[in-house]
Amino acid sequence: MNNIFRILGPVALVSSIPLLGAADMPLGAGISGGDPFAGAVARTVKAIVDYTRWPQKKGLLTFCVAGDARHASQIGSWRTAAGQEVQRSNVAAQGSALGGCDIVYIGSIPVAAQRHLTAATRGKGVLTIAEADPVNASEAMFALDYQPQSLSFRLNIDAVSRSGLRIDPRVLRIAKVRY
Amino acid sequence: MAEISPPPPQTLRDLLAEVHLRLIVFAVILAAAGLTVSGVIVMRGYAQRNLTLVAHSVAYTIEPAIAFQDRQAISDGLRQVGAVPGVRAVDVVDPQGRTMASWVGQGGAWPDWLIDGGNALIWPEPTVVPVYHGETLVARVRIIGNSADMLRYILAALVIALACIGVAVLATRILAGRLRRDIIEPLEFVAEVAHSVRTERAFEKRIPSSGIAEIDRFGQDFNALLAELQGWHAGLTSENAELHRRATHDSLTGLGNREYFELALAGAIAKAERTGTPFVLLFFDIDQFKAINDEHGHTSGDAMLIAVGERMRGAIRDVDIAFRLGGDEFAVLLAPQPGRVHADIVVSRIRKAMIAPIRLPSGLWQIATLSVGMAIYPADGATTETLVNHADQAMYVDKRSRRDRPNNQGGASNDV
Repeated sequence: MNNIFRILGPVALVSSIPLLGAADMPLGAGISGGDPFAGAVARTVKAIVDYTRWPQKKGLLTFCVAGDARHASQIGSWRTAAGQEVQRSNVAAQGSALGGCDIVYIGSIPVAAQRHLTAATRGKGVLTIAEADPVNASEAMFALDYQPQSLSFRLNIDAVSRSGLRIDPRVLRIAKVRY
Repeated sequence: MAEISPPPPQTLRDLLAEVHLRLIVFAVILAAAGLTVSGVIVMRGYAQRNLTLVAHSVAYTIEPAIAFQDRQAISDGLRQVGAVPGVRAVDVVDPQGRTMASWVGQGGAWPDWLIDGGNALIWPEPTVVPVYHGETLVARVRIIGNSADMLRYILAALVIALACIGVAVLATRILAGRLRRDIIEPLEFVAEVAHSVRTERAFEKRIPSSGIAEIDRFGQDFNALLAELQGWHAGLTSENAELHRRATHDSLTGLGNREYFELALAGAIAKAERTGTPFVLLFFDIDQFKAINDEHGHTSGDAMLIAVGERMRGAIRDVDIAFRLGGDEFAVLLAPQPGRVHADIVVSRIRKAMIAPIRLPSGLWQIATLSVGMAIYPADGATTETLVNHADQAMYVDKRSRRDRPNNQGGASNDV
C-alpha cells in the first residue's frame, strides 16, 4: 500500500499541474511537502461529516483515528458546517477502544482488523471511513478512493443502511462506486 | 376661370364602413397589444420564478460536489438539474468569479441571435443564487432564461391579431352590406322620391315602410309633407285653371271672351299659314236685342244671351270654338277645313237651334233671330283685322237685308 502511494504521489502532482491549472481543485499536494493526499483526505472526510446526520443532535463529535493512519495528518479538531465541534482522538485499532467515538477513521490496518472495527460499530450511530480499503472488504460506510489526479470515495450502501446514521442523498450521488 | 372643384362628397355607406373598420382594427390592436404585454409580463414573472427555482435546485444539487471539490459531480449536477427547457445557460462560479462549470442550451427552432436578443430584453441580468456550505459562500449559480417561449407567445399574438383584423375586415364588409340594405337603401329611396318630386312634380309618390323606426318616422313625415304639397299643388293648379278660364271666358254665357277670341284667331291664322289649310270665321248678333232689353229688362236680355250661347255651343262641333265678344255679339271660329260647305252646315245648324222660343224670366216667350257674317281665310283676309272687318261687314249686310223684309223680324229664319 504504502509503496503504491509513494509511486502514485509524484505522478499525480506532476500531471495535475499542466492539465488542470490553477482553477482546478488540487489534491493539496505540496502544502505539507510530505503526503500529497493529506489535504484532499482532510477535505473529503470533513465533507462526509458535514453531510452526515446523527440520530441525536450532538454539539460535540469525537473523531477517532483507529490504528496507523497515513493520510490523516491534516485532520485535527474542526467545526462542521452545521457548527458542531469535532475533536480528534487517536485510539487503538480494537473494537473495545471505540466507545464514545462518533466517527471512526480506520487507518491502514489489515482487512480483518478493519472488519472487526466496523462490526463493533454497526448499528451504534458511528460513521466509519476506511483509509485503505481498495477491494471494499472493510465493510466501512465510506472507503477513500485514490485516483491519480483526485481523491474520491466509495460508498457501502449496506453499511450505511445499517449504521443508524442519515447520509445526505446528494453525497450518495457523488460516490464513485456504490455497492 | 380656374376653379378647384371640391372632392365628391363621401357616401354614408363608405363613411360607416370606414368608421366600423377603424373602430374594429383599433379595438383588435388595443386588445392584442394589451393581452400581449400583460401576457409577456405574467410569463416573465413565472419564468423568473422558474429560473430562481432551477438555480436553487442547481445550488442544492451541486453543494456537496463543491464541498468534495468534485469537478465532474458539479458538471453532472449542473446538467441534470439545470438543463431544462426555459433555461438558456447556467454556470457555476467560485466566490472569486472563476467558472467551475457551465452549460449552454441549444436555441432550438429559433436563431441564436433572436433568442439572445430576446433574453437581453427580458432578462438584462442573469439570475444569481449563492451556494453556501454551512455558512461559507462556496459558489454562485448564474442562470439565464430562454426567451423562446415568450417569442413564440408574441408571434402567436401577432398572428391572432392579424387574423382578427382579417375577420374584422370581412365582418365590416358584411355589416356595411346590411347597413346598405337596411338604412342606406331606404334613404336613397327617399332621396330618389324627393328628386322626382322636384324634377317631375310627382307629388303622388310615397316612401314605403323600411322596417326601421327612425327611418319610418322620417318617411311618414316626408309622406305627410308630400301629401300636403300635393294638396297645395292641386289647389294651385285648379285655381290657376279657374283664373285662366275666368280670364279667357265670358262670365255670363261661359263662352270665350274677346281676349280669348283674339288670341285664338291669331293662333288660327298662324297655324293656317304653316299648314296652308283655310278656316272660317263666323260673326253673329241677335236681331232687335236692344229692343228686347229695353222692353223686358236686363234680366230678360241676359236670359236671351245665356240661351243663345248655350244653343250655339250645342250646335257646333268640339273642334270649333264659340265666343261672346260683348253685348249681343257672338263669334265662332271653325276648325281649319278646305271649302265653305261645312261652314254653311254649321250656320244652318245654329239657326235651327234658335227656332225654339226662349222663356224669359217674365214668363213670356221670345224667339231669337241671328244675323250672320262669314269670313274665310285667306280669301277674305289674311290678318285678324281684315278677317274681323270682313265678317263684321258681312253680318251688317245680312242684318240690313233682313230688316228690309219685315215679315222676318223677330221670327225664325233659315236664310243667311
